[in-house]
Amino acid sequence: MANYHFGRGRARWAPYILLLPGFFFYLLIMFGPSLATSVFSFTDATGIRGAPVNWVGLDNYKEFLFLGQASRDNYGALFRTLIFCVGVTTIQFTLGLIVALVVNQKLRGVNFFRTLYFMPVILGAVIQGLIWSLFLYPLGGPMAQLLGMVGLRSEFLGGPPAEAFAWVMAVQIWANMGITMMIFIAGLQTIPGELYEAARIDGAGSWRTFQNVTWPLLTPAVNTNLVLNIIGSLQAWQLFLVLIGYRNGTQVLGYLIFAQAFGQTSGSVTSAFRQGYGAAASIVLFFLVLVIGMSVQFFLQRREGRVLG
Amino acid sequence: MRKLSLLISLLVLASLLLAACGGAPATQAPAEPAAAEPEPAEPEPAEAEPTATAVPEAPEAEEQEVTLKVLVHQNPPMVEFMETFNEQFQAKNPNITVDMSVVNANDLSTVTQTRLNANDVDVVDIFGFANAAQPYMQNVVPPNWQTLIDAGLLMDLSDQPFVENYDAPTIQDAGTYNDKVYAINLGRVSYSGIYYNKDLFAEYGVEVPTTWSELVAACETFAAADAPCMTAGGKDGWPIFVGAYGLIGSIYPDQAALVEGLWTGDIKWNDATSLEMWEKMKVYAQEMMEAGASGIAGDAAPGRFASGAVAMFSGGTWYASAIEAAEPDFEWGYIPFPGSDNPEDNQYLFGKYDQGWAIAANTPNKDAAMAYLAEFSDPANYQAFVNAVGFIPTQPGATLDTQIGEEVAPYLENFRVGYEQYWVAPKGAGQYANPYASYFQPFGTFDDPQELADKVQEDLQSGLDANQ
Repeated sequence: MANYHFGRGRARWAPYILLLPGFFFYLLIMFGPSLATSVFSFTDATGIRGAPVNWVGLDNYKEFLFLGQASRDNYGALFRTLIFCVGVTTIQFTLGLIVALVVNQKLRGVNFFRTLYFMPVILGAVIQGLIWSLFLYPLGGPMAQLLGMVGLRSEFLGGPPAEAFAWVMAVQIWANMGITMMIFIAGLQTIPGELYEAARIDGAGSWRTFQNVTWPLLTPAVNTNLVLNIIGSLQAWQLFLVLIGYRNGTQVLGYLIFAQAFGQTSGSVTSAFRQGYGAAASIVLFFLVLVIGMSVQFFLQRREGRVLG
Repeated sequence: MRKLSLLISLLVLASLLLAACGGAPATQAPAEPAAAEPEPAEPEPAEAEPTATAVPEAPEAEEQEVTLKVLVHQNPPMVEFMETFNEQFQAKNPNITVDMSVVNANDLSTVTQTRLNANDVDVVDIFGFANAAQPYMQNVVPPNWQTLIDAGLLMDLSDQPFVENYDAPTIQDAGTYNDKVYAINLGRVSYSGIYYNKDLFAEYGVEVPTTWSELVAACETFAAADAPCMTAGGKDGWPIFVGAYGLIGSIYPDQAALVEGLWTGDIKWNDATSLEMWEKMKVYAQEMMEAGASGIAGDAAPGRFASGAVAMFSGGTWYASAIEAAEPDFEWGYIPFPGSDNPEDNQYLFGKYDQGWAIAANTPNKDAAMAYLAEFSDPANYQAFVNAVGFIPTQPGATLDTQIGEEVAPYLENFRVGYEQYWVAPKGAGQYANPYASYFQPFGTFDDPQELADKVQEDLQSGLDANQ
């Protein structure tokens, strides 16, 4: 308490007063809509102003989870979301770490490569999608020409769902790997150089140094990256919209919610808006993210305590 | 020090609050009228240009500046026509500025809803009313247009004189709900035909196919010569399966009855008749459609066809203008999809009511919006619109004096509203409960027609059973 910057008495309220604007905006922009979504999930709301909104109890949840083949398709989307999450997190995390280790060296031109790897992050999903649509254009695009050299051809994003899904995963990793890399670089730069020097004097090779110095001291960056990658990939949907649209066998839960809520499921321009149903699906996704996110957070904090003391 | 900290904290807080509450500068001047009066544009005599007419000017024209917000979907020839029409409308009504937004067709319903909710649009482009729940359908969700009307967001146009310019069946079928007119529909389109490249057909000595066997043989001839047989804008998803709707039509000519039969169980997607359809769809997807079609955007497909590289293009009549624009000297023809081996079954064109106009019920610019539709509905302007866009007209006096008009003329008596406009899926139906050729490889996962037919029926039946 001796180091408490704002002192005693009325001055102690200063930090709370400073927090108020942020808290107000959090309530307005994040918590309010989240609360409204949970209420809407029990209604047949369409999102159209003036349309009647009826309380339907648990009907949306029953339909989403138990009604006919559509509910089994929803489980398919749920499973696909988890596959996407595991695939993206694993590859993005690993690639981000490797690239960070490389561009953290004191080499000429390293800043150029850091910028290059980070650049996709600043592009929006639409630009990212456009770039990759052109790259994967099946009638003479760069990738089609590469495949053509070895006698192969592919429809890429318009091909079988598993292939299209894999390409979206690749684009998601390309688009976000820069953030993972930057967080790792920040973590690497907090590790004192003396520790590497001591390890070298003790005769540790590159792998032992990484194993016993770099990896344990990167724990905060590892935790941050894992949580961000997991949550980001569980909520992904924009790239699915931009790259392949609503296609059977490719939907993840985030895109399914958008498509149901905004009438994008059938390709028909008269499709109904089902925002109450979409809200119920959002709540299911929320609990999925909550359970996975909190479990991961719990294990990561325990590991951090064990490693860093 | 503590006091200084407190003072700084309060100053920061106050500045944040002021920043958050700040609006537009109070000194912002109101929009000034243009310094010079715009010159009224001379009506262009060109065939596809809108013409100036004797439609009464909007009352606001004499009173106040109006910005009329119009929302349309992306259709290049239509957008081009509308830009010219807007210029001429503004010239006739100098104090009305038309602010037209163009969105992708897939996003039209979302943007319409958002902007109607926000009172941010006056005139909206709305597709012909379709997919209404029929008495034999249970537990289905009403279509979007119906919800918009029930919510009071679209204006009743029943008493407007310009409604009389359109034929009564169109107004009834594509713009009327609960005995009131909410939209004027601007044209019908067929989506069940095939464009063919006359030069390539002549070069390889191929006759225009009138039966399925002839179509297959034609594609085999082109394939043997390394010329792609058929293309479609597969990147947008729907052009692949919509391109095969003619195949469904040749097997089930009465598509309203098809939809009722599917709901009542009299028709199944895996019965013998339907299986024939799936077998042909497999040939369409795997042998007729060119490799790479899934990468071609919908609005790029006409250009691909007009380049002369492909023998056929399965697509709607709305593409004709774009084909002509891409390559004016390109020789093409248009035929109904020959899905049957009996030529009599291949005489139908299936399609839908396309674009229409509706007015936001809460518009503050009602008179300007009415004047806009009145001007547009003037027979001369409507004729120019039809010529530009290639729609099958919905005004009795208008004719489709273009090549596509001539091509479809022999089949117009056999024009029928298609499956897609009747179909409403039961809640709980699976994602494959549709007759889509795109479920076949290389666009989808299926290779065996019987397996796909069983899956489609299973997904549909699941929804039907869930609602029992």
